[in-house]
Amino acid sequence: MADPTALSGALIGAGIALGGGAIGAAIGDGLLGNAAIQGTARQPELAGRLTTTMFIVVGLVEAMYFINVALIFVLISQASK
Amino acid sequence: MVFADVAISVHQSQTAICSGGGFWCTVNQDTLISSGIAMLVTLILGLVVAANLRHGRPGKLQMIFEAALSYVRDLTRENVAADAAFIVPIAMTIGFFIVVANWIDFFPLQKPVIPANSDWNLTLAMGLIVIIVVQAYSVKVLGWFGYLRRFTKPFELPLPVRILFIPLNVLEEVVKPVTLSLRLFGNILAGVIMVELIPQLIPVWLSWLPLSLWKAFDVFLIGSLQAFIFMLLTIIYFGMAREGLEESENGAHPPAPQPV
Repeated sequence: MADPTALSGALIGAGIALGGGAIGAAIGDGLLGNAAIQGTARQPELAGRLTTTMFIVVGLVEAMYFINVALIFVLISQASK
Repeated sequence: MVFADVAISVHQSQTAICSGGGFWCTVNQDTLISSGIAMLVTLILGLVVAANLRHGRPGKLQMIFEAALSYVRDLTRENVAADAAFIVPIAMTIGFFIVVANWIDFFPLQKPVIPANSDWNLTLAMGLIVIIVVQAYSVKVLGWFGYLRRFTKPFELPLPVRILFIPLNVLEEVVKPVTLSLRLFGNILAGVIMVELIPQLIPVWLSWLPLSLWKAFDVFLIGSLQAFIFMLLTIIYFGMAREGLEESENGAHPPAPQPV
């Protein structure tokens, strides 16, 4: 088991990284949904294509957060050895 | 409840292939097994479709494949060029392999079988192969001079400013395979971690509900989406490898399209 002080520091850091990453991903998703709704309201016949594009960009936006989450868990499991 | 109490293990089954072990000598058995399964399924599906090809009255599988293939072909034509047909098999194979490798995760397979893409070695290998082919294509299309000139983007600025942009452009090329592979790896590894975490946080009699919801979301939405994004970015990188070609041929920017 790891040193408790180091482990608690690692967990606090992980929490900050998770929270900050979630803020970024949420803002990105919100902007994206806003743009998609505005585009659909302006040209309703484009709704299908806009939705497809929106989901692709959601994947791109959230990928950063998922990288964040995965690396946090890898680092925590390294720190807690 | 502390994270460290949760037994999350990533790649425990490593084997040394040469004496001494170390970084270059270990093989992740679980990745080998699961990517081998994914390769087998991909190959068998492809061969089955190829063996049952019917003209005029296609089967269901053939229709799905034809729709996907024509979509990829249209994407390539729009983003790269009409004469770049060699990209279609590359992008299609990579996308199909990733889809299969991600969807295998849906079955409740026990260790040592984990989703193949939750190992960075596999995704980085695919990303590096894509970027190497992209560079070769860029040299082939633009020539060595045009290839080196591409590192002085943006082209409309005066020359001294463009020289300042060289480090940024080199960095952009170097970072491409890393982001391409980390995107897929991070998504799939986060899915694996959630699948291992949910049964440990929630009592067994209730954990099937969030687990099945998460698996459906993770495998079918995120897995397919990330495979598609990997394939799309492959094609887009090929398109970016041609930058500067139209300008040097026409000597000027194409006229801006008139608003309709």
